[in-house]
Amino acid sequence: MVSSLPLPPRQRTLDEGVLTSEKPSPAPVTAKEKTEPPPTPKELAIPTKVSKPVKTAEKPTPEPPKHVQPAPPQPTKAVTGETAGIRIAQATMQLKNGTASVSVEDRTFGSRFAYYVNIVNRKVAQNWYTQEADPRASEGKRVTIIFDINRDGIPSNVRIGTRSGSPSLDTSAIRALQRVQDEGFGPLPQGDHITVEYSFDYRQQ
Amino acid sequence: MFRPVCKSTNFHPKLWLAAMALLILYGPQLHAQDWFKTETSSGADRIRIAVANFKPISADAQTSSVKGTFDATLYSDLASAGIFDIVSKSLAPQSSPGTPAEINLQQWSADPASAAMVAFGNLGVEGGRLVANGFLFDAKNTQYPQVLAKQYNEDPSEESARQIAHRFADEIIFRLGGGVPGISETKIYYVKMGGGNKEIWEMDYDGANQHAITHLGTVTLSPRVAPDNSRLAFSSLGREGFQIRVYSLLLGRMVNFAAAGGTNLSPAWAPNGKELAYSSSRSGDPEIWIADINGGLARRITSFRGPDVSPVYNPRTGSQIAWISGRTGLPQLYIMDTDGSGVTRMTDGGYATSPSWSPNGQFLTFAWNRKYGPGAPGGQDIYVMEVATKKWIQLTHDGGRCDFPSWSPDGRHITYANTADGRPEHMKIWTMLSDGTQKRALTGPGADMPNWSWK
Repeated sequence: MVSSLPLPPRQRTLDEGVLTSEKPSPAPVTAKEKTEPPPTPKELAIPTKVSKPVKTAEKPTPEPPKHVQPAPPQPTKAVTGETAGIRIAQATMQLKNGTASVSVEDRTFGSRFAYYVNIVNRKVAQNWYTQEADPRASEGKRVTIIFDINRDGIPSNVRIGTRSGSPSLDTSAIRALQRVQDEGFGPLPQGDHITVEYSFDYRQQ
Repeated sequence: MFRPVCKSTNFHPKLWLAAMALLILYGPQLHAQDWFKTETSSGADRIRIAVANFKPISADAQTSSVKGTFDATLYSDLASAGIFDIVSKSLAPQSSPGTPAEINLQQWSADPASAAMVAFGNLGVEGGRLVANGFLFDAKNTQYPQVLAKQYNEDPSEESARQIAHRFADEIIFRLGGGVPGISETKIYYVKMGGGNKEIWEMDYDGANQHAITHLGTVTLSPRVAPDNSRLAFSSLGREGFQIRVYSLLLGRMVNFAAAGGTNLSPAWAPNGKELAYSSSRSGDPEIWIADINGGLARRITSFRGPDVSPVYNPRTGSQIAWISGRTGLPQLYIMDTDGSGVTRMTDGGYATSPSWSPNGQFLTFAWNRKYGPGAPGGQDIYVMEVATKKWIQLTHDGGRCDFPSWSPDGRHITYANTADGRPEHMKIWTMLSDGTQKRALTGPGADMPNWSWK
């Protein structure tokens, strides 16, 4: 229930400590002390004679000859989107049970207003209750939800892009969007609507 | 969406795609296979934000004094917003960039600040006006860093410096907090004890600017501000006993509210501002009544033996009332529809008082002594209950008697009154986040019954 307060979730308290736990800690297992039987004379090992290791002088290893490293060939192709520094209109967030990633269709919007994409991602991720999905049926599945955000930041027209095959996971993703529908994500920085594709990856820890 | 085409050997292709996308986006943060998760947070993390000291653009004495007020106010507004992980000033870079050309974003996004967002700007007194330019930059987005740019122009004073800081902080909270307006400009109305009287006072949400509203020279209780901040309703002791009275904050004087017999207590505004629910004993037993804002057309909602007090409307719908009823002995929390139907008991025992409904209608907060009686363990503390499930959490622990919780309009904060040693004259007003963290006192002793304004 704490997670549905309109505040970001907090660290959970450790439940394993003796003082914080409700459960009584298990009593320590006590075993009877046993005395070792005296060894038979056959079991006694005969000590071997200790001999000093032979010392050898350390040989200086010759330094390897220096080679000039050939310069890497310059790329002949134009720089593609794989290089670092260019932002893709997508943000991914690791959650306790899985991953949530968001991408917007309008590529320029995503790079120009990366912070807004992050807010969308964060807000939906906070409202996705992974316990609503059946852990066995949803394990490793991925559902993609498509929705529009209007000028005021309210999501609408929520639909499933790709079904995961686990109905409970699909429902939990739709519900995450429905929880956001009250207050929305905040007004769009540009344009009057934007279409967002949001993927939920369920992974049991 | 960019998707690298990779042929993997023993992997589910979709998982592999997801892992590749992760690797490309957050290359330095995690490595596809060998990363591990330390359970520091069970969900999405909070935005890390840094606040630079604003740069003075003129060098007179007035600028430096208002700049100090502005910097401190902006920092404390963002730190108490409840949605940020704020960079401590000691970890932030020493520089105070004044314009977008002067900021070195790498300095702010690198360790130890490692901020995701930076708020900075400049201010000064120019030609008898206080001028401030505020910017919010996304430190991780080097290509298009600007999120927000604002300019403010006010009379030069400490008070307007604080107002500008509040407005800029609200703007940041609104953008980054997902569309929930900030509360930096909201007020808290409360009862101030002094000289044998109790008067209504007003302060900013952070405890600054405390001043008196009423000068009635009597005992005045339970202030409730109207949803449009135009009027203040309270219960005041006069010749006819406790009566509901209304003070107009726009006119600065009392306005009419028809008196009735008996003791009239704890008014509550309907969210449309057109009705007041309150407790009245004109029929012999304290019951919940609803009247229009002039006290006319009063109608009774409850009709049970035992006291019915402290009504509060569901601010989301306006069609439900939560209140405290003693119909089964000790006072318990109930909810009902505004026509008196659908009565549901919420608490299962103990001694419950002074409910407040969260702005989204999902939660109730109230003071509750769960094990009431002589020698019982625990005391009166603040609780939050989810209306749909009746599940509750306890927000205060072992801090002395707590009472009169009131939600902030953004639903992220709760103000309440607390007395550490149980003596009523040592009652102070506190604020906390609605999950019970970041508690701090707003007033000194002698303040009671806080009520957070609606906007």
